[in-house]
Amino acid sequence: MEAILSIKNLEKSYQAKKVIKDLSFDVHKGEILCILGPNGAGKSTTLNILTGVLNYEDGMFQSKGKNVHDHLRLFKKRLGIVPQDIALYEELSAEQNIKFFASLYGLKGNALSTSCNQALEFAGLSERRKDKVKTYSGGMKRRLNIACAIAHQPEILILDEPTVGIDPQSRNHILSSIKELRNKGMTIIYTTHYMEEVEEISTRIIIMDGGRIVASGKKEELKEHVNEERLYHIDVDHTEGINEKEFYHIEGVKHVSISASQVELATLKSVENLDRIISVFIQNKVKINSISCESTSLETVFLRLTGKSLRD
Amino acid sequence: MYQFRRILKMDLVNLFTNPMWLFYTTAFPFALTLIFGFLAKGSYSDNITSYDFYGITTMIYSALNAGTLAANSFMEKDIKGPNMRLIYAPVPSFAIYFPKIIATVIFTTVCYTAVALLLRVTVHVNFGETNTVYLWLLMILVEIFAASFSVMLCCVLKTEAAVNQILSFAITLMTLLGGVFFPVDGLGKAVTAVSNLSPVKWVALSAFQIIYDGKFTLLLPACIILAVVSVICILFSTKFFKTEDFV
Repeated sequence: MEAILSIKNLEKSYQAKKVIKDLSFDVHKGEILCILGPNGAGKSTTLNILTGVLNYEDGMFQSKGKNVHDHLRLFKKRLGIVPQDIALYEELSAEQNIKFFASLYGLKGNALSTSCNQALEFAGLSERRKDKVKTYSGGMKRRLNIACAIAHQPEILILDEPTVGIDPQSRNHILSSIKELRNKGMTIIYTTHYMEEVEEISTRIIIMDGGRIVASGKKEELKEHVNEERLYHIDVDHTEGINEKEFYHIEGVKHVSISASQVELATLKSVENLDRIISVFIQNKVKINSISCESTSLETVFLRLTGKSLRD
Repeated sequence: MYQFRRILKMDLVNLFTNPMWLFYTTAFPFALTLIFGFLAKGSYSDNITSYDFYGITTMIYSALNAGTLAANSFMEKDIKGPNMRLIYAPVPSFAIYFPKIIATVIFTTVCYTAVALLLRVTVHVNFGETNTVYLWLLMILVEIFAASFSVMLCCVLKTEAAVNQILSFAITLMTLLGGVFFPVDGLGKAVTAVSNLSPVKWVALSAFQIIYDGKFTLLLPACIILAVVSVICILFSTKFFKTEDFV
């Protein structure tokens, strides 16, 4: 597949702290690339570098073989950006907002009106086009936030957590719209905290942590990473006296996490060790309330790769 | 230039549709002149009434306050979000901050002209009769200076709160020293000497010279100094404005 953006060995620091370390990846035409990571992973910094707004100290950022910063204004014309926060003029109508932001990309006259109509239709806001944005619901504002970014029909759409704090109906509308845009040939770069969104729309995933890429690939490939393991959730009365080292001595146990009333263990599927795991609880006189075994999800992949929950 | 015009138009719309800013640039200077003029009524002659004096000085004070408006139109909480889209858009950097200066000057000029007309009709403030155009030239240059200085501070400091604090302190100090609200010449030689450092004093002197003496000896140097300092502020803005400071 054709790479339309290419980042190689990128390094970025804020003051003395390095926030992006040796970052390399390509963005391919027509894909929905989801970037995942806990807070502080470097996702927003990466997105801001991709928008051309943020500079970097070292490395290379190219588009179609050319250095982006040598042709920044031309490059920006090809982008549509949906910022994380609602970025709209509240005192103006949806139509005025879309027309203004689209005009910054050079649209004027009939072309501007047509694009504005299409964007309003896309966002499902045609009927309320003349209403002031301040009268809109949160979900409508989120949809308009996206409409303002696509009216000029960009080649690449970058969305930074576009569904934060909205109702399920608006979220579904946004996700199906994003898939529709991709079907029309747009390339999408998407960050989110919601794993189910990634499961639904991504064609490729990058997982970041500590300014680095810890894994990348299609969701099936990422699941393969941890597919050789199974995850036990064991609910107990208490976990006093239980030492995780006792579990690590058991053959096949790869990862242990102990909280107040739950123990999570990742063990190799090829080793039958549940009896030995249970015996640790018996020896410590801890009553087991329930045991469940989880199949591999992206959430599991993420947890195993970063050691953190996505909402950390 | 098309994008520049669109951004300028949007900045003007934002200013003219904000009721708070409209109040601040119309009702506030009008009321301030009436209150000060009424309180000081007995201290002025019939030739130059208290309303004449405070009509002019309030205009100068208000023109300086254009700086606060420019900072607001650049970084005010509700405006900053949509303004951020300008940073992502393929527009040159100067098209982001420069229209803020022009829009502020247009907005304040329109509002203060309306206030001046109202003061002329209600309390007969003398704005220089046939020389009004020169007085307004001076006021517009003060507005340009204040807006440019403020936008430069925004580019350097990156926060509206810090800029407003500095502007508020600087404007108050300059206007007090400049004798805008009460004469400072009677407070001793030292205060008089310090007051000579306030540019507001020279602007006020120039304004009164235009109105009552029909002379323009202070106008040209005042205009040149204001224009040169404004250009320097804009050049500094160009140097210090970095898109990455706003994401």
